[in-house]
Amino acid sequence: MREPERRAFAVVGKNARKVDGRGLVTGGPLFVADVDLSQALIVKMLWSPLAHARIVSIETSEAERVPGVALVMTHANTPPTRHTTAGQGFPEPSPYDARMFDTKVRYVGDRVAAVAAETEEAAEAALTALRVEYEELPAILAIDDARRPGAPIIHDEADATGIYDARRNIVADVDIDVGDVAAGFAQSDLVVETTCETQYAQHTPIEPHVTLASLDAEGRLILRTSTQVPFHVRRIVAQALGIPVSRVRVIKPRIGGGFGAKQEVLLEDVAGWVALRTGRPALFALSRAEEFVSSRTRHPMRVRVKLGATKDGLLQAIDMEAVSNTGAYGAHGLTVLANTGSKTLPLYNKAKNARFTGQAVYTNLPVGGAYRGYGATQGYFALETAMDEAAEALGLDPIAFRRLNAIRAGEGSPIFEKLGEGREGVPQTVKSCELEQCLAIGAEKIGWSAWRGKRERSGSWVQGVGMSIMMQGSGIPQIDMGAATIKMNEDGSFNLLIGATDLGTGSDTILGQIAAEVLGVPLEKILVTSSDTDVTPFDVGAYASSTTYVSGMAVQRAAEQVREQIFAVAAPLLGGDRQDLRLRGGEVVGRAGAVSLARVCERAMYETDQFQIGATASCVPTESPPPFLANFARVAVDTETGFVRVLHYVAVADCGVAIHPRLAEGQLEGAIVNGIGYALTEEMQFSSRGRVRNPSLFDYKVPGALDALRLDVALVDSYEPTGPMGAKSVGEIGINGPIPTIANAIYDAVGVRLRQTPFTPERVLAALDRAGVGAE
Amino acid sequence: MSLRQVQRIARPTTVEEAWAIRRAAPDASRFLAGGVDLVLYAPPSVTTLIDLSRLGLDGIREEGDDLVLGAMATLSQALESPLVAGSAGGFLRDVLRRVASPPQRNLATIGGAAVRGHPWSDVVTALLVLDAQLETYDGREARLSLAAAGAGEGPSPLVRAIRIPGAWRGSRAAFEKFSRAAVDVAMLNCACSALVERGTCREARVAVGGTPALARRLLDVERSLAGTKLTAVETRAAAEEAARGIEARDDLRASAAYRRRLARVGVERCLESIAGRGEETG
Amino acid sequence: MIHLTVNGKERDWDALPGDTLLDVLRREGITGVKKGCGSGDCGACTVLLGGRAVNACLVLAAKADGAEVVTIEGVSSDGALHPVQESFLEAGAVQCGYCTPGMVLSAIALLARNASPTEHEIREAISGNLCRCTGYVKQVEAIERAAARLRGER
Repeated sequence: MREPERRAFAVVGKNARKVDGRGLVTGGPLFVADVDLSQALIVKMLWSPLAHARIVSIETSEAERVPGVALVMTHANTPPTRHTTAGQGFPEPSPYDARMFDTKVRYVGDRVAAVAAETEEAAEAALTALRVEYEELPAILAIDDARRPGAPIIHDEADATGIYDARRNIVADVDIDVGDVAAGFAQSDLVVETTCETQYAQHTPIEPHVTLASLDAEGRLILRTSTQVPFHVRRIVAQALGIPVSRVRVIKPRIGGGFGAKQEVLLEDVAGWVALRTGRPALFALSRAEEFVSSRTRHPMRVRVKLGATKDGLLQAIDMEAVSNTGAYGAHGLTVLANTGSKTLPLYNKAKNARFTGQAVYTNLPVGGAYRGYGATQGYFALETAMDEAAEALGLDPIAFRRLNAIRAGEGSPIFEKLGEGREGVPQTVKSCELEQCLAIGAEKIGWSAWRGKRERSGSWVQGVGMSIMMQGSGIPQIDMGAATIKMNEDGSFNLLIGATDLGTGSDTILGQIAAEVLGVPLEKILVTSSDTDVTPFDVGAYASSTTYVSGMAVQRAAEQVREQIFAVAAPLLGGDRQDLRLRGGEVVGRAGAVSLARVCERAMYETDQFQIGATASCVPTESPPPFLANFARVAVDTETGFVRVLHYVAVADCGVAIHPRLAEGQLEGAIVNGIGYALTEEMQFSSRGRVRNPSLFDYKVPGALDALRLDVALVDSYEPTGPMGAKSVGEIGINGPIPTIANAIYDAVGVRLRQTPFTPERVLAALDRAGVGAE
Repeated sequence: MSLRQVQRIARPTTVEEAWAIRRAAPDASRFLAGGVDLVLYAPPSVTTLIDLSRLGLDGIREEGDDLVLGAMATLSQALESPLVAGSAGGFLRDVLRRVASPPQRNLATIGGAAVRGHPWSDVVTALLVLDAQLETYDGREARLSLAAAGAGEGPSPLVRAIRIPGAWRGSRAAFEKFSRAAVDVAMLNCACSALVERGTCREARVAVGGTPALARRLLDVERSLAGTKLTAVETRAAAEEAARGIEARDDLRASAAYRRRLARVGVERCLESIAGRGEETG
Repeated sequence: MIHLTVNGKERDWDALPGDTLLDVLRREGITGVKKGCGSGDCGACTVLLGGRAVNACLVLAAKADGAEVVTIEGVSSDGALHPVQESFLEAGAVQCGYCTPGMVLSAIALLARNASPTEHEIREAISGNLCRCTGYVKQVEAIERAAARLRGER
């Protein structure tokens, strides 16, 4: 406890009921499509059947004649503005390479044309009636083919901007170094190099993307949409449709998960256009198959890591090189790539020489986007595999080797400054780091010394344990912004208005807790309204692990300003020194007595020097304190079949003060199980012509309740002095753990390294065969 | 995903009536049992569904030594039935626990699972090694072995029940399923059963499914096992023969070569379990 | 037209012969039944049909004719939450809430048959209900708590 006030937290650090919990658990009509849809037109998209083609012509007259069809949309009758679908801060670091409808299709599942009709049947009939003539172009279906001389150029349009080198299909290029890596390797006793590859994977929120567009009585466009970024949706839709921001209102009701997939403007422009053109409400909902193919995916990457260390285990140099497949459009191409280096390399700041180079390339495959972990996940696979290899070569325990080289409180890394969100970063000293505790607790829980290297055998199954560590960030420093408004009501309750976006994470609840803590009231007295661009102040939205830290700080500041206003009103009632006033238990307490908040508000509203007690505050963070995570897994590998079972997974996190410990644990648990799926079973497969072969939850396997059995998550005692109530982030970091941790555990069990995800039984068995370990 | 092509639900109360409707419209009608497959895969030509739920076909009962599973019994009913649990050492119950998810098992019927014959079907693989017979009606009542079902012209007959003969209810049987996740269809599945007398295997059944084709029995392997003592050497040899004997192909879930490996391991594990040497795995 | 008892209310419902139960219920404003895939793989549309958890997207409404259906809307009574709902809130088992109605109904069906399920039985009972947010830990805990509560232990 470095912060005396912590002991006195009344609301923070407690497991309050979620403020939206009752509505959700009773199945209230809270989601986009739960309202009356009887008047809505149904929007359906014609998706490209070809990986790469020019649209020669689209004959729409037959489709327009289908009874019930209200509108057919193609490149010929929609705004041509180039923009990015990536919901990022303005100006976005992603290229402007997308149009509502283009004259070219760039992957199987790209937009060709859309229809809006009275019924689903009519819409489908109209799609069938569209006659499209394509001129098929050669396609690029592998990252290695993208940069080859003579490769087809995927973005040959003249009006695209922000592409690093369109003629070579390179979306983005990053090249930074600190120190001198060559010198670092020269002074190393040991150099290891490893290359790891990750697959195409999809977020699979249980609610697919859905948008309901309508016009209000004044003709303004109301978008009720399943999004993580309502304010970015408002800006990008206005840009794409060529209408003022003031004409658009975006409302995010409850949404069924996002994980990054909904940090993207995928439906809102089309649904909005239908509403504007027809005056009718329009519902555009992706089917599960469409969600797989035509929403967003995790960027597949090939990451090479070269480590140099002295024989006593001190890292001298890290060289990381990444090639990222951004698919047909460059959404998040640069920033995901940059994060692969910027969120990993500072972890081992003992290496004074470090380099990160990388390129993101276009292919004619589904589009990469934001996905929890955001490049760090891919980077940690290679980095933590290389660390494991180096520890073994040095004869060091993997935990000890990491301890020796990991960043500590009070230290920085030049990488923080060199590499940020697709541009230069911000210098930073880590102020809270309890990685030591995380490692100690995790090792104990998994039984590290009992299992490590023992290779306990039961029939053909062999057990092993592995570990990895990681950091992430808390928002994007000097870019992200969150704002909060708090106003007081005469019964002593407060409205908390936040642009922050609760995707199910519980941010409405924890932001309410922060306000309640400052204002000395129970959480029930905080009425949380979030994510309505007409009502709530600006917030970038839910991404980059920013909400608790950035939006939370805005809430804390707004609450503190409100507190001062309350004191100003209460002081004359209580007498004495204003410095002695405190808010506690719904009262202003001073030396001479107490007065209720209701009384204070009544006075301000109705009696003396009347004014609305309320404040708006913003936060633009100057740093991004990393949370830390130690992961341990015990696995069993079947040497006859290659099956891998995760028998026990332990994750111990330093996320600063957990505002709501159960929700924080839930973030880690969900991320880890998602990561286990990513490590073992989840993989989008493609035909030789670039078509997704398994776009269903039947064929693409995400973990169910029987697949992830023993999962232990723990939070260590930590306090981040720059964070609201001592908090930093926890939303993304967990997903980075399973791949390297399971890979290292497999190695401990059977002595083979898996360098390509997912670790399917067939891949594991092939690796065992190559190593001569597999039982024939 | 509604079935817009469907215009009529027929609700016959006798098997004869159901069959008459079916026969009158071979392309335009289908029997509606659990309905799961129809909702997902009904062809566009189907305009009439014949609901079989009023035919009294959902009982599970014993007839002599035989176990008779009414075709309309859901997988859950079968799974929970003491008669099923008491057959072949609970083999069929243990198989059913690994089929689909509980809400799907509450809908899918044993008859549908047996005759729809998804290539990955665990139920068919399991029933094959119990020598299951279909009790059918196509104008007359008949019994045919599951292994022989599916051939013939015109609509396949209405299945009234699945009959497991007494001899095989008393067999030792084992099942292996290899799937990516707990609720998933098999990359490959296999089942074996044996009638063992004084340590000698009198007769054996071996079936492998999800190859990715529908399960079939491996008669050569069955013949080689007959008369053996099911020693480790013999089960290994049988497993290797099984791996050679399947028609393995590549698909989304696995390659042909990997499927052969799984068939070898799976059949050996089943036979070792039957021989009483099964290991607790993982 | 089909005849259904939904959440205790018996009446006729508009239905085409090919409609699924999911189509019919959502169309009539029973939106606690969620659509996540339409192919029986996610469990978001789970309802109780004759007391058993089923995927409403796989049930032809006509097949349910005459049956009793319970959706999440019918689980709490007079504003009082069902013990399973209470436990979900207490345990932190609700994140986005999209899978929650189906998960709660699967749990209720389990506990009606098995008052003291093991962890494995709980996981099996909800194995057809995919959740991408929670990792299932808190949901299993919630169902264990609810079981204890229903047994009168808490």
